[in-house]
Amino acid sequence: MLRRWRTLSLLLLSSLLPSFSLAGPAFENTAIVRTIELGGSLVHVSTTYAVKALEPGQTVYHVTFGKHEKEKTSWIEAKVKGQVKPLEITDLGERDVRDVHVFAVSLPRKLAINGTINLVLETIQTHATYPYPSYAAQADPQLLKYDTDLFVLSPYTTLVQRTKIKSSSSDIPSYSTPEGIDEFVGDASVTKSGATITYGPYHNVASSTNAEFLFKHQQPISAHYNHGHPVLEVMKLQRSVEISHWGSNLNIEDRFNLRNAGPLLRGHFSRLDYQSQNYFGRMAGHILSGLTLHLPAGLTNAYFYDLNGNVSTSHLRQTPSVPRGSKAIQHSILEMRPRYPLLGGWNYSFTLGFDTPLQDSVSWDAVNQRHIVGVPVMTHIPGSVVDEAEVKIILPEGATDIDVVTPFPALSSAILTHVSYLDTTGRPAVSLSYKDLTDKHTAMIYVSYKVPLSAHLKKPVAVGAAFMSLFMIGLVARRVDLRLHKA
Amino acid sequence: MPAAYPLPENISPAVVSNTASLLRIIALGLISAAAIASRLFAVVNFESIIHEFDPWFNYRATRVLASQGFYAFWNWFDPTAWYPLGRVVGGTIYPGLMATSGVIYNILHAVNLPVDIRNVCVLLAPGFSALTAWATYMFTRELKDDSAGLLAAAFIGIVPGYISRSVAGSYDNEAIAIFLLMFTFFCWIKALKQGSAFFGAVAAVFYFYMVAAWGGYVFITNMIPLHALVLLLMGRYSSRLYVAYSTWYSIGTLASMQVPFVGFQPVRTSEHMAALGVFGLLQIVAFAQLVRSHISSKQFQELLLASVVATGILGFSAIVALTYKGWIAPWTGRFYSLWDTGYAKKYIPIIASVSEHQPTAWPSFFMDLHFLIFLFPAGVVLCFRSLRDEHIFVIIYAVMASYFAGVMVRLMLALTPVVCVASAVALSSLLDAYLDASKPDATEPDESSTQATSTNGSNGASRSASSTASSPTVNPKKARKNKEKEPPAVPGRALGELVSEVASSAAAAVHGSDEPNSKGIFGLDTRLAVLVNTIGMLLFFVVHCTWVTSNAYSSPSVVLASQMQDGSQHIIDDFREAYYWLRQNTAEDAVVMSWWDYGYQIAGMADRPTLVDNNTWNNTHIATVGKAMSSPEEVAYPILRKHDVSYVLIIFGGLIGYSGDDLNKFLWMVRIAQGVWPDEIQEPNYFNKGEYRVDAQASPTMRESLMYKMSYYRFAELFGGQQPVDRVRGQNMPMNGPKLDYVGKWDVSHESRSCLILLMITEEAFTSENWIVRIYAVKGDDILGRDHKTAQGFSEGKKRKRSKPVSRRKNIGIGSV
Repeated sequence: MLRRWRTLSLLLLSSLLPSFSLAGPAFENTAIVRTIELGGSLVHVSTTYAVKALEPGQTVYHVTFGKHEKEKTSWIEAKVKGQVKPLEITDLGERDVRDVHVFAVSLPRKLAINGTINLVLETIQTHATYPYPSYAAQADPQLLKYDTDLFVLSPYTTLVQRTKIKSSSSDIPSYSTPEGIDEFVGDASVTKSGATITYGPYHNVASSTNAEFLFKHQQPISAHYNHGHPVLEVMKLQRSVEISHWGSNLNIEDRFNLRNAGPLLRGHFSRLDYQSQNYFGRMAGHILSGLTLHLPAGLTNAYFYDLNGNVSTSHLRQTPSVPRGSKAIQHSILEMRPRYPLLGGWNYSFTLGFDTPLQDSVSWDAVNQRHIVGVPVMTHIPGSVVDEAEVKIILPEGATDIDVVTPFPALSSAILTHVSYLDTTGRPAVSLSYKDLTDKHTAMIYVSYKVPLSAHLKKPVAVGAAFMSLFMIGLVARRVDLRLHKA
Repeated sequence: MPAAYPLPENISPAVVSNTASLLRIIALGLISAAAIASRLFAVVNFESIIHEFDPWFNYRATRVLASQGFYAFWNWFDPTAWYPLGRVVGGTIYPGLMATSGVIYNILHAVNLPVDIRNVCVLLAPGFSALTAWATYMFTRELKDDSAGLLAAAFIGIVPGYISRSVAGSYDNEAIAIFLLMFTFFCWIKALKQGSAFFGAVAAVFYFYMVAAWGGYVFITNMIPLHALVLLLMGRYSSRLYVAYSTWYSIGTLASMQVPFVGFQPVRTSEHMAALGVFGLLQIVAFAQLVRSHISSKQFQELLLASVVATGILGFSAIVALTYKGWIAPWTGRFYSLWDTGYAKKYIPIIASVSEHQPTAWPSFFMDLHFLIFLFPAGVVLCFRSLRDEHIFVIIYAVMASYFAGVMVRLMLALTPVVCVASAVALSSLLDAYLDASKPDATEPDESSTQATSTNGSNGASRSASSTASSPTVNPKKARKNKEKEPPAVPGRALGELVSEVASSAAAAVHGSDEPNSKGIFGLDTRLAVLVNTIGMLLFFVVHCTWVTSNAYSSPSVVLASQMQDGSQHIIDDFREAYYWLRQNTAEDAVVMSWWDYGYQIAGMADRPTLVDNNTWNNTHIATVGKAMSSPEEVAYPILRKHDVSYVLIIFGGLIGYSGDDLNKFLWMVRIAQGVWPDEIQEPNYFNKGEYRVDAQASPTMRESLMYKMSYYRFAELFGGQQPVDRVRGQNMPMNGPKLDYVGKWDVSHESRSCLILLMITEEAFTSENWIVRIYAVKGDDILGRDHKTAQGFSEGKKRKRSKPVSRRKNIGIGSV
């Protein structure tokens, strides 16, 4: 039975997809365990592949995603289980079968026949959950729904496959039961214990990256669960980083358009109920009343304002600068409260900025005579996804030979001119745009540049010239007498 | 002439005048710095924010100007104001303020200083206060001398009467208008003194700027003609007056008509007729002078009498006729309220409801002017001593402004400059007398003063008796010798000496007399006694000004500050919270109804259309809002629906004791509504036996009104069974009763007179943290076409099926009793 399936699929594959057939039988998955940790905006999926090589000398392992899964996934990382170093992943796109997206993972070593390796593929899905029902009153719980596919797709045969969905609370009103998969199922197709729903184990799943399997067996499953934290979405993030060598200062300013993407508020907001909920500690999970952000150590002059001016409801716990190379990770902590609590569907836009000492993020490369500055892509709001981000790094006036290294590719990048205080020709600015950023995307962007001494001197010369001309005008005006009749 | 204290005499006049000039510049710079710095309390204590109400509109208009350019601003039709009427902004404002900020903004951006437009607006008033100080210096200098000018500049720099309208963030027309007022007056005086068409034209240009900037330009429009008229009546006609006035009037009037909001008013309204009349009169007088120079005096007398009387009568009757014909608009209500303080209260409640239109309370004169208020009359009297044309101007200005300041709090601002000028003249005269080094020639030698002189040093004795203090020309050889001998003068003292020396030399030059003076001050002790007192007063003045500025005038009133128990400042930011909520979470075209006070703020901070705002030009529209607020829900609902109102915003201070809330303004809403609908709204109905009550004793009309219901909706529940208290009005609110039989109706039968306020036509949409701002969403039509009372009754009944029969029985029971 199994053999027949396998041969059939092999036949199909080899007839349809000649290139794929080479990779097809190279491996066998002894087990695939997918763990989905449900959240609000972000869903953390980690899939462990226990791989056994069927052919010698294999170095490339293919992992595949369905169409929806690929659309939702905004971050992907593969590792050998127990190791820290991520493996190289190449996006091969939809290669052979429609709606099956292939990534190639380069294995750290060649595998011998029957050699095994455990791969862990971690992905973050964004916009993967949605409120269900889509309206909730102020005191109602926040119920979210998550849809995914039942089977983890793999071009290789899988002996055992299991999917665990972990919710943040044990309150799970419903979950779907898969149908028509009796041929894989041992005792139960799905079980629930506490906050975990387990689909599987499903045995002897054949290579699933083919149209027939997708049509016949693949099916959506969904979990409906109570999520006790607000679902946050940053619709737009504009970060502008300004480097000043004269001021020895690095200013970071973020403009957030924050939205509570949980269920829309049914009826209206009652302050009385909110205050009593607060008083009795029974705040509904979907109300955002405050945020805690981690900002760099050593910051000064933090500001938090919106279109109506300064927001006075925040506390900053400053931490002094950490010496470079020190292992201790330290943050200044900003406890901020929006002007009003954010209920479902409400928006709040604000600006957050601060100064940090330049030496904390800029270093001097004496060999190449270059400055190198490291700037984080964003300040992460816990549990939020950033839909659109624009990062603008403004270099000092007259900076040349600009070189940008990004931790992950940007959607678009450009070098603009930014004109600010006391500029004569304007400053070069590196502008990068991203979408769907998550907590895994807070890595550093490195920009290196050269600033000649003449560029440094531009400002004092310009200011000096301006004052000089002012005095000259005064000097002349005081001495020229335009009167017709001298008194 | 002997000197009371030693003066350095070895200094050349060039050095003296240069030093004096430098010191003047430094003094003016320091005065400007002080003027700006003391206005920054608001920024330091709070933040860089636009204050109060009107500035929010100006700020919004300026943002349009800065972002879209001048022509877009000029043609701006704002559909969000006065919904559904809209407002032609370009034609209904004085654009001077916005244009000024726009120009400054563009200049700064042109030189790569990308200052935020908000900061330009916030700091405009302090910046212009420095210019005002300079203009006042120039003006006062024309009256007396430089030292009086510097004193006047220092006074106006920090006097609270002017600071009250020009702290940082108080972005209103007055911010630049006082500078323009002073500078126009200065140019007028200068033009009059010199008979200069140039200065007349400059005065006209600044008059135009003033017209473009502030409605108070009418003050100039009437002050200058009045001055000219008085000069005429005093027989001081001169060709200088003719040139100055004709230049100013013709250019100024033509220019002022270019402002769309003013338009043809200068020839068609009564407020401007004085200027036109004086202009005509001057032509007649000039003509008469011309004729007199050509014919004999007897004929001239007759001719003059006849023609002057004839033209006068003709002109006056022409104006009267035009007024009756309607060509010239009669005086406006605001103008009448200047003469009869009770007028507005009777006929135009909307003007009377503005606190700054109230008559001034006496203490506020002292609060705003401190010791200047009693130096001021002395200064005016001193103006009579050398009664030149400009002194007459100051006297007239003082009289007029004193009257107006007594009538309206707001016009204190117009009085302040002349108080500073007159006080500076008085104080400077005093200081001149007491700092003047020259000693009077006593017929019998005064023992103490000679002693004082001789103890002061040797150079007093070495001075030759014949040399006068007024002529500092000294033998250069001797000067050099003295310079070697003496240490340089102590810098602290040098200022006073130099100033007095320059002043006295100037005075001597004017009078042209160096004959011995028999009047003056003997002795240092007398001088010291007076000077110490004066300096003490000046110090107290500075302390007072600083205190008043920081405590009374620097609150943005958008943000409220309160002290925590540990002394730290706690910010109450409910207004911005609620406005920001509106801005971020409501539909962009959602119409917000509120009392007109908050119209500009809603437009500026929440960016939503409003029914009425602080530009109170349409009384009926405001009365409509007043009616909706003061009527029962059934009456209010059609009004709200007809005006597409989505949200109703009210201010409620009962929880934290904010006294400026809507319930305290409620009677004005009632009065204004009553003015338009006397049959439907009657003020006495809102009182209970003549008392304004909001508690259980409140009158039924009061309890039924929309404003009352929205203010106290669910208020009692907040106290959780405790006695609810309205902290503003200090009244105990009724406890919540269990009765739910009727919606929004008080159950009088219940012993505790408990009530439950239920709203039928609106739903609570948002309430700010301290309950200051409460926003209600207006319900749409019921889907089944029922009225809201029935619909709500039905839904309540469905919920409480079991309690419904009980309540019905109860109603029947009451009915039978």
